[in-house]
Amino acid sequence: MYRRFAPRVRLYGRKHLHDEAAAEDLAQQVLLLTIERLRAGEVRSPDEIGSFILGTSRVLADSTRRKARRRESLTAQFHVQQVYAEPLAETSDIEAVARCLHSLAERDRRVLVLTFYAEKTSPEIADELGVTGTVVRVARHRALERLRECVGGHAARKS
Amino acid sequence: MSDTRCSTPIEFAEIVDYWSGDLTEADEHRIDEHVFGCANCARELATVETMGRGIAAVAREGRFRGVITDSILNRLSADGLRIRMFTLDGPTVVPCAVWAGDDLVISRIRADFTDLDAVTIVSRQASGEEISRISDVAIRPGQREILNAFPADRLRKLPATRVQITVTGHVGSAERTLAEYTLEHGGSFDRSAGGSSTL
Repeated sequence: MYRRFAPRVRLYGRKHLHDEAAAEDLAQQVLLLTIERLRAGEVRSPDEIGSFILGTSRVLADSTRRKARRRESLTAQFHVQQVYAEPLAETSDIEAVARCLHSLAERDRRVLVLTFYAEKTSPEIADELGVTGTVVRVARHRALERLRECVGGHAARKS
Repeated sequence: MSDTRCSTPIEFAEIVDYWSGDLTEADEHRIDEHVFGCANCARELATVETMGRGIAAVAREGRFRGVITDSILNRLSADGLRIRMFTLDGPTVVPCAVWAGDDLVISRIRADFTDLDAVTIVSRQASGEEISRISDVAIRPGQREILNAFPADRLRKLPATRVQITVTGHVGSAERTLAEYTLEHGGSFDRSAGGSSTL
């Protein structure tokens, strides 16, 4: 069960909490809670496990977000120096991503960096590049597909 | 919710929109639920996430080269990257160098881009050897400058040389040289070494 659901809870956490450490904590908490409920016999059917884990992920992620907002507000109020750990750049092959990223068309490269690094939504990117949101979304998923193929090709050649 | 069923696989484009925050809350919830019950779509999502982290890592480590926008520059500064910037605005020869500790070197290229669809930017050493080429940089109406980023690590390998930057403008299939700039690259310097040393 851990192998099956931990990566999904982690992804859920990264998507909704925008913080790698918080996502890792969420995965630990959710799966511990799930194991407890399974042992107590409160979750029985295999079909229920996914729903239970998603529901628990939502509740705990909401709580984490509320705490983070409170912390941010206190930090702003009292000018407390924020201390945070930079998430690890743990990716299978950053070198290959760099090479493949630079093989893309200039605008596609910019769209990907604006999305995944500057964390801009498509309307914001559209505004910066002077195109429509639809153009950005199409360019983004096509560019990401090309990047995936290219990185996959590198990995296949390496192995 | 079971991994054995995936009668309605989510399109890759929608997974990318989901991860990028471009869906409505209701659609996000729908995809959350689907991913928790579908191993295939969870794998697709994990791929998007891994690629996204890779792209962010390339930028965060100062390894991105090419045209950037103000918001990328702001993010790089917020992430603590040491950025050296040179403004190119006319025929003056601009002295430049890269220092130990620099992560990224940015040229702020100013020109009259009015009525152009796109430009190509080519940088060459005095020997004529090409350092970089960025083709088809789209120009938006009213644009006055282009920010061109280059990793400092790569510039450290460059000897002291004169660098010529040529900007070619494109309108439809026609093209013309828009501007030429000259940088006098002094080499790579290290203050901590007790003086300046060039490669």
